Amino acid sequence: MNNNIEYKELYNNFPSGYFCSLPNGTIVDSNNRFLALTSYTREEVLGKKKVADFLSLGSKIYFENVYSPALKLRGSLEEINFNLIKKDGTKFPVLVNSVEVKNKEGIHVFTQSAVFNISQRKKYEQELLIAKIKANDLSNELQEVNKELKSRADLILKQKLQLEEFNLHLENKNRQLSNFAHIASHNLRAPASNLMILKDLYKESTDLEEQDMLFSKVETVIIRLNDTLNELIQSVKIQGDKYIKHDAINFKSIFDGTLEILDNQILGLKPIVTSDFSEAPIIEYPKIYMESIMLNLLSNSIKYSSPDRIAVIHFCTTVKNKEIILIARDNGLGIDLQKQGHKIFGLNNTFHEHLDSNGVGLFMIKTQIEAIGGSITVESEVDEGSTFKIIFKRNISC
Amino acid sequence: METNIKARNNIKIQGTGSTSMFLVHGYGCDQNMWRFITPEFKDDYKIILIDLVGSGQSDENSYDYEKYSTLEGYANDIIEICDDLDLQDVCYVGHSVSAVIGLLAAIKRPELFKKLIMIGPSPRYMNTDDYLGGFSRSDINDLMETLDSNYLGWSSAMASVIMGNADRPELAAELEESFCQNNPKIAKHFAKVTFLGDNRSDLARLTTDTLIIQSKIDAIASIEVGQFVHDQITNSKLVILETTGHCPHLSAPKETAEAMKHYLT
Repeated sequence: MNNNIEYKELYNNFPSGYFCSLPNGTIVDSNNRFLALTSYTREEVLGKKKVADFLSLGSKIYFENVYSPALKLRGSLEEINFNLIKKDGTKFPVLVNSVEVKNKEGIHVFTQSAVFNISQRKKYEQELLIAKIKANDLSNELQEVNKELKSRADLILKQKLQLEEFNLHLENKNRQLSNFAHIASHNLRAPASNLMILKDLYKESTDLEEQDMLFSKVETVIIRLNDTLNELIQSVKIQGDKYIKHDAINFKSIFDGTLEILDNQILGLKPIVTSDFSEAPIIEYPKIYMESIMLNLLSNSIKYSSPDRIAVIHFCTTVKNKEIILIARDNGLGIDLQKQGHKIFGLNNTFHEHLDSNGVGLFMIKTQIEAIGGSITVESEVDEGSTFKIIFKRNISC
Repeated sequence: METNIKARNNIKIQGTGSTSMFLVHGYGCDQNMWRFITPEFKDDYKIILIDLVGSGQSDENSYDYEKYSTLEGYANDIIEICDDLDLQDVCYVGHSVSAVIGLLAAIKRPELFKKLIMIGPSPRYMNTDDYLGGFSRSDINDLMETLDSNYLGWSSAMASVIMGNADRPELAAELEESFCQNNPKIAKHFAKVTFLGDNRSDLARLTTDTLIIQSKIDAIASIEVGQFVHDQITNSKLVILETTGHCPHLSAPKETAEAMKHYLT
């Protein structure tokens, strides 16, 4: 009996609220602490009030839609925050722990709940919540700024790359201009002074026949001069052609077309010309450049074939590191690369005493190849032959 | 596409019957709330259970704030699921807000639905001068606060488990008990859409046979609201259960299932 009274005492003065409710929510028991928290008397609550009656309307929505279903499905719930309403209408926040009690048959007979007043904690929590919202806003702002910065950095990087490319382009142009200046100063000076001399001779001459002869010489010089000028103009034009239209090129058909053009020259020499483009039959490339490359390489091989043996010329393609490579090999006169390798692709460099070599061809195709982002190299032995290797730009694959 | 919809709404199909019974949970919970009802219909029906997008185990990434800013967005999902699963003569059972979602779907595609069962429906929760929905704007703000402080285990650690983004076996047991855990941001948005909406004028447009199951004491949708819904829907019956609370299918599943069976046979 004494024990019972002690328990009752403990129950009533337990430092948190406690109540027991039926499945329909009616409160059938509560300790004094719960009554003190809500300012109601025992008579006003027991058997008369339901749990939901103590809740603010917002809490009630949560109670009906989340708390009750979740308690039913889980059997117990902890740390649910509700706003309780006191008898005088004022609200205060609590945490509620609830557990469903079932009988032997597993039927839910009542629910036990403990209630903790968290007014002080809640104030602090609200401050934290506000701080969190502010921090979130700030973080979002920072993310925006970051995004902006990143896009600016991307832009700057892009501009830097464009500048580098432009720089390269300028350097290239500079080199070409200095080459142009070189030929202008050296190549044009010889025919010009030739013309001056012929003009003086012509003036001094009184013989009509001699004058005719001098004039025909002037004509020849003028024609040569004109050819040189035209070729120069053509080679200078290439500089700006980086964004020239790319076509789907079939190596074989361009090669065959080139052979036809050179038919007359081949006729006399009877060279053995073979090709194999099976490794890379097609490429996206400017057609006029490809024609120019093939024509110059093939005509060079024919032009500079050795008089001591039958010319053997072979063109083929291969793929290395995803790059398409065109190889042109001959057994011709060859070039002394030790002596002349550094200027083989320069303007107006001729290595042979041929009459029709004017030193523009290799310069021109190198300019064309580099304009598209590729490169050309040569291997050669004097009197054994030459092999030209053209690596087309990586991303212009088939 | 088919699998997308299945994952999007966490569609679960059970039962051995041929008639389709489409059960849709209300605000705040998920398809688990039907677990005491489904055994009653398993033998006679093909039961389709879903989680509304943003609730339960649905695909959270599919939650489009624009699309779900009205209940129409959810109604379109219901129609899409019916079409995708090739359902006909559907018996649609919707709790609370999903009763209204079913209402909108049945107005749009009446031929899909044979019967509608609304449990605790309310077409408008806000009070107006001449209508008593039960709540005012400040109550909804109060709810928002409650939602803010009740994440029901929705800490960042649990969130990643619930969303299936973490391999944390030690949390799997907790996950088993994760009923009614919803992403707080989405839960708040859904709450606003649910409790600030007004679909009263849609009720009269419904032609489908409808049963309204109303709890005698329901703090969310009062008996007067249930009566209003019944008055507005032409082909409707109203059954009032001697129960307390907004979820009779959980608190009194036997009585709820009986009322449903009585109506369906």
